[in-house]
Amino acid sequence: MLRLSLRMFGLVWVTVYWWVRPMVKWLLRRTTGLCELQRVCYGEQRGAQRTQGVGRTPEIQKCMKYIDGKCQERTLNQELIYYVVFAIVKIKKINTQAHKGFSDVLGQCLTQIWGFRQLSAEVEAKRREMYDPANPQHEEKLKALWELMMPDTQLEARVTKQWQMIGFQGDDPQTDFRGMGVLGLENLLFFAEHHTSAARHVLARSLHPTWGYSFAIVGINITHLAYSLLQSGAAKTHFYNASKRFLELRAFHQFYCHLFFSFDEMWRQEKPKDIMEFSRIRDKFEAQVKLKLKNPLAFFKCNFVLENV
Amino acid sequence: MGLLSLLRKLKSAPDQELRLLLLGLDNAGKTTLLKKLASEDITQTTPTQGFNIKSVQSDGFKLNVWDIGGQRKIRPYWRNYFENTDVLIYVIDSGDRKRFEETGQELGEILSEEKLAGVPVLIFANKQDLFNAAPASEIAEGLQLHTIRDRTWQIQACSATSGEGVKDGLDWVCKNLKKK
Repeated sequence: MLRLSLRMFGLVWVTVYWWVRPMVKWLLRRTTGLCELQRVCYGEQRGAQRTQGVGRTPEIQKCMKYIDGKCQERTLNQELIYYVVFAIVKIKKINTQAHKGFSDVLGQCLTQIWGFRQLSAEVEAKRREMYDPANPQHEEKLKALWELMMPDTQLEARVTKQWQMIGFQGDDPQTDFRGMGVLGLENLLFFAEHHTSAARHVLARSLHPTWGYSFAIVGINITHLAYSLLQSGAAKTHFYNASKRFLELRAFHQFYCHLFFSFDEMWRQEKPKDIMEFSRIRDKFEAQVKLKLKNPLAFFKCNFVLENV
Repeated sequence: MGLLSLLRKLKSAPDQELRLLLLGLDNAGKTTLLKKLASEDITQTTPTQGFNIKSVQSDGFKLNVWDIGGQRKIRPYWRNYFENTDVLIYVIDSGDRKRFEETGQELGEILSEEKLAGVPVLIFANKQDLFNAAPASEIAEGLQLHTIRDRTWQIQACSATSGEGVKDGLDWVCKNLKKK
């Protein structure tokens, strides 16, 4: 029964896809004088709606394979995007005199699509880079994190119980980065460096006697959340609305800062009995963020309003 | 799945539900082990704030595995999870020699808990893939496991990341439950 209905569905889908869809497209092309790409570019609002529309058209799907390779190598740049736009305009015989804005709009969308993909690849590379105490760059970043979070306290040694003051588990933060690698450290450092007062504010709140939690550990768990929202594509809406330009790692750090700060707010609102409620509240927070990201106009800003500790 | 096998599955007795408790110091590998048991991706683990729980089917049992964070701050909460535990699984990082004493003390305290009296204990000597890992026999001796007389116990060398030894440990768990 199930198999039969599945086959029926498949048949209907194939018919629609191969016959009805081109017919509708042809009809629209004749009546409007525009190709699908142009219709999407003109018809949709700038941001996630338009960019996601462009991403679904077959012309772009074809280009994707080639450029995706470049993305994985993390060597994609703006110039290559212009070549793609040029090629599409040629192939689709678009009259650039009559449609002056089209190339720019398409260029913007493609910049966002591949900016997002390259960002995913960059973030993945950072995550795979394990924290290495023999790497002076890693060590310096860790030290900088301490200095920004605890400006009045000298770090006594590289391995010390003091790390627990900013919410690491033991004497050496190294083991806490685990599956998130250097990405976890860089996220924390960016928060401390670029939103210093907000980060210190969250740290102060995390030290509350009843509603406290481990700042750094929770931060690394938020890195995991931000990472999975990026890799699953759920965060596309935010990133497409956040920037017209080619996305850089900075955009991911900003996204992280927003998540960490709003998680802290939710934690306090929930008034948890103790730290053992973390998974429940984390899951609730994730569901809430995913719901917000479903909105095509979703955009998380980093305007932090600091309330009482 | 065919209709027949579906019916057969519905007819058979529901699985016996069991509660497994995973404890050990931070960075021992509890969450990785939990994910391995549930056949999930283990490359993206993060330090456990609070606890994780997963249900795993094995050998006609439904195992509810509780993985509680091992950070010193969280250890006082361990006792809240002792009740109704069928098997205790204690995980040790075999490469972390500096903390063998600390992990031994924690284990000693757990085993003297009234709520866990008589509960079988499986000790996983984890991270055997590390070059400096202590062999299970050395850990057993260091922890003086032979002095445990009030319950059945077993030490199993394993590597949660490669999966080696994990199945053997789980088999021991299921075998000791059937005897009950």
